[in-house]
Amino acid sequence: MELCVYGDTLNALVTAAALASTGHRVSLRTLNTELDAQLQLGSTPFREIELEQLLREQLDAGRLRIDASNGALPSDVTAVFYAFDESSYEIAVELTQRLQQSTPFLIVNQSAFPVGATEALQALNQGAVVAMPEFVQEGAAVASFIRPNRLLLGCDDKQAELLVREIFRPFNRQKDHFQVMLPREAEFTKLAITGMLATRVSFMNDMAELADELGVDIESVRQGVGADPRIGEAYLYPGSGFGGLGLSQNVTHLAGALASKGVKSTLLEQVLEINERQKEVMFRKLWHHYQTDLQGKTVALWGVAFKPGTARIDNAPALALIEALWAQGANVKVHDPQALDMLKKHYTEPKGEITYCNDMYQAAVDADALIVVTEWKPYWSPNFQQLKTEMAQPLILDGRNIYEPSYVRASGFTYYGVGR
Amino acid sequence: MRGKRFTPELPAEWQAVAAAAERLSNTHIADLFAQNPERFKQWQHQFGPLMLDISKQRLDEDALNALLALAKTKQLDIWIERLFSDYQVNNSEQRPAWHWALRASEAQALKEPESGVFAAVRHELAHMEAIVTKLHAGQWRGISGEPITDVVNIGVGGSDLGPYMLSKALADARAETKGALRVHFVSSMDGSQLSPRLLALRPDTTLFIISSKSFTTVDTLYNAATARTWLERHLGNSEAMLRCHFIGVSGAADKMTQWGIHPDNQLRMWEWVGGRFSLWSAIGLPIAIRIGMAGFRELLAGAHAMDVHFKDAPWEQNIPILMALVGVWNTNALGINAHAVLPYDGRLKFLPSYLEQLEMESNGKSASRSGEQVTVHTCPVLWGDVGSNAQHAFYQLLHQGTVSVTCDFIASAKRYHEPHHEESEEELRRQHQLSLANCLAQSRLLAFGEHAFEKGQQLPNYKRYPGNQPSTTLLCDEISPYAMGALLAAYENKVFAQSVLWDINPFDQWGVEMGKVIATETLGFIRNTEPMDDTLDSSTKGLIAYIQAHQE
Repeated sequence: MELCVYGDTLNALVTAAALASTGHRVSLRTLNTELDAQLQLGSTPFREIELEQLLREQLDAGRLRIDASNGALPSDVTAVFYAFDESSYEIAVELTQRLQQSTPFLIVNQSAFPVGATEALQALNQGAVVAMPEFVQEGAAVASFIRPNRLLLGCDDKQAELLVREIFRPFNRQKDHFQVMLPREAEFTKLAITGMLATRVSFMNDMAELADELGVDIESVRQGVGADPRIGEAYLYPGSGFGGLGLSQNVTHLAGALASKGVKSTLLEQVLEINERQKEVMFRKLWHHYQTDLQGKTVALWGVAFKPGTARIDNAPALALIEALWAQGANVKVHDPQALDMLKKHYTEPKGEITYCNDMYQAAVDADALIVVTEWKPYWSPNFQQLKTEMAQPLILDGRNIYEPSYVRASGFTYYGVGR
Repeated sequence: MRGKRFTPELPAEWQAVAAAAERLSNTHIADLFAQNPERFKQWQHQFGPLMLDISKQRLDEDALNALLALAKTKQLDIWIERLFSDYQVNNSEQRPAWHWALRASEAQALKEPESGVFAAVRHELAHMEAIVTKLHAGQWRGISGEPITDVVNIGVGGSDLGPYMLSKALADARAETKGALRVHFVSSMDGSQLSPRLLALRPDTTLFIISSKSFTTVDTLYNAATARTWLERHLGNSEAMLRCHFIGVSGAADKMTQWGIHPDNQLRMWEWVGGRFSLWSAIGLPIAIRIGMAGFRELLAGAHAMDVHFKDAPWEQNIPILMALVGVWNTNALGINAHAVLPYDGRLKFLPSYLEQLEMESNGKSASRSGEQVTVHTCPVLWGDVGSNAQHAFYQLLHQGTVSVTCDFIASAKRYHEPHHEESEEELRRQHQLSLANCLAQSRLLAFGEHAFEKGQQLPNYKRYPGNQPSTTLLCDEISPYAMGALLAAYENKVFAQSVLWDINPFDQWGVEMGKVIATETLGFIRNTEPMDDTLDSSTKGLIAYIQAHQE
């Protein structure tokens, strides 16, 4: 089929590449010339290795084209995908008006717009508009697309449903992953899922705070809780709070969507508040350790990406941490395998001392504390001896609970974790 | 004079003013308007964001000329020079009064009274700015590392009224902050305001400002001690706790240090700022926290512009001087000793309390500068409330009582244009218009009486409005930091100009000292640590006995 994908999100690139890989002819229109240039060179800002490979293959095979954003649609286009970020609703509205042509086409809206947006777009399109919330996971973007757990489809038009099922047939083979409901139900489901996951994380962070007070190790508690089949193990890890576009922005969005209707979710407000507090949990432990005096201290941060496997730093806990350290007159040294460039761009005018280190041990040299913020794999088993020799003070703050406290302590460090 | 009825005797230099009053004694305000249909044009004056309308005062051009001549005789020009110099205008305490220098340090349109004063002022402003920036960014942290969300100002009198009044007045100029940041005020010595705060606030996220010029004010120190003990109970007693949770503002650095305020958290003021003139100094920190440093500097700029106007503008167009002369006319020529302050804006709810202190503590005096008994009335009794609410309370007396009262009506033309009012702006603007309509209607009725509106009708006495009650209307374009700066400085300078005409020192307050001493003695009696001797009066003894009997 002739397909067209609009947007410059990770989801847009994954959708375009994956659909092209099954034989469709796909025109990708990012509305972002800088990104287009990068894509032509076979790379992306997302550092998704599998995705870059897939993109290159499809571009080489000629099934995927990077097209100018303002062009008309191919006359034989069957479906157009909207893979925007949540703030681009107005763009989607204008685009829908502009694209109307003699042959009607299907619009698949994957963007997390406010509930009801898909229906509003339907009013502007001759063909059908369906909602299909995306569940692409950063760090494993392609895998999550081609082997989906579920395909949520908001659609009240049998013809349109048939067409969507045909497009996704190659990814829907083992069993039928489609769940079909009304468009606004699908939109709301996506938001509710995000809200539930965020709630679990914030709940565990809240428990971790209590565990700290009571001298209990939250890790034992987490395993005990997760073993209950009614609860399960996912999203129970306490840590320095969730960041990223997906989780935190969607929860904000859900809280906002409710508020504008005059309904207020006090639970979700609390979830977000706990999360913001949690981003500073390692700062508070450091503050306490140094008895509120961080002036002139050097603090090393391992990891600034909001999670491993991505170069993105949107709402990342590291940002809150860096600003808190600067405000107290501390010097910051950071290492991250992928996100340093993003960080440099973010802090064009830094409000304090920051040193960008390409080597993780270099960041720790002369540091009065080392904080593990993102659980990148190379951080899991560092050379503790080397760290102990090179740091000014043997102090490790484990914001992701990746170390065994007794081992780290036995290696001569003072150790703080989250809830332990 | 004590115990005797005060009968003013106007000295010779007041004769022209007295004669003008005599001449006008049978002239109704309505007559003045009838004689001159353009009266408003002649009797309104504008400066910066303010418009002063004194057309509804009971005076004419000749009377004003007599007042201007009196001011000249009283050497107002020389005294203004003295105020803006190193002259010790506060003669009983041998100090200059340089509150104006607090707002002159950046524009510098006024001469520095002494080398280093402006630099010292700027230094404190920079220190305030650092504190405000940290609080707004959510980076001022309590001892447990959490950002401060609640700031409690502990102070009384000048360390409370000004900041409190302006924090409410400038609610719409609130600065954006990263997280929640609330400001609270605690003043009363009995703990009435502090106790509910302690129940509602979290120690971990609460910061106290201890504000006292002398750092010996017992009201403030008792509240501060209670706050400190509360924090120690929850957060432990440590130097770090004190540093994270207390800021001090005072002229006495050593006393702040002694109390436990960390040197980094000490904001300074000086001997030469009077308490009731101190909101422009670091005492204004709660205002700066509310409206940001940019807003605070606007406030200073508005006041500075008014100072320059007061010093340089011709007296016939000089807003503070005209306000002063009108006040003197009403008090001394017309014999009206009651004055109501009536803002038609709920945000100015505490402006009357603020002006009560400014005017009555400054000019409520009966000893002249040379120590003689004054022979003319000085400051009238001041009180007030939000006008539209007071209409349902004491306006009955204004319209139909047996005493004369002068009024200041205060309002802003524009309101509810800020983005945060957008949702209901139309409805709210209509409410503001309603309030303005009431303001204008009341001053009209007070001035003209019912005759202006019910022509030819013979009403029963209880429905009659005699009118002829003088009032001033002060309008500003909007309640902004700049306009409030100009408005308050106009009142400050008015108070000074009046003190010159009355020949009193407006910068001391000896009348509030002895009560403090006697209270300390009485506390000993109540706590039974001091024996009551025979010299104590039977009333005090009887009251103490009742209190002791009911405290057990």
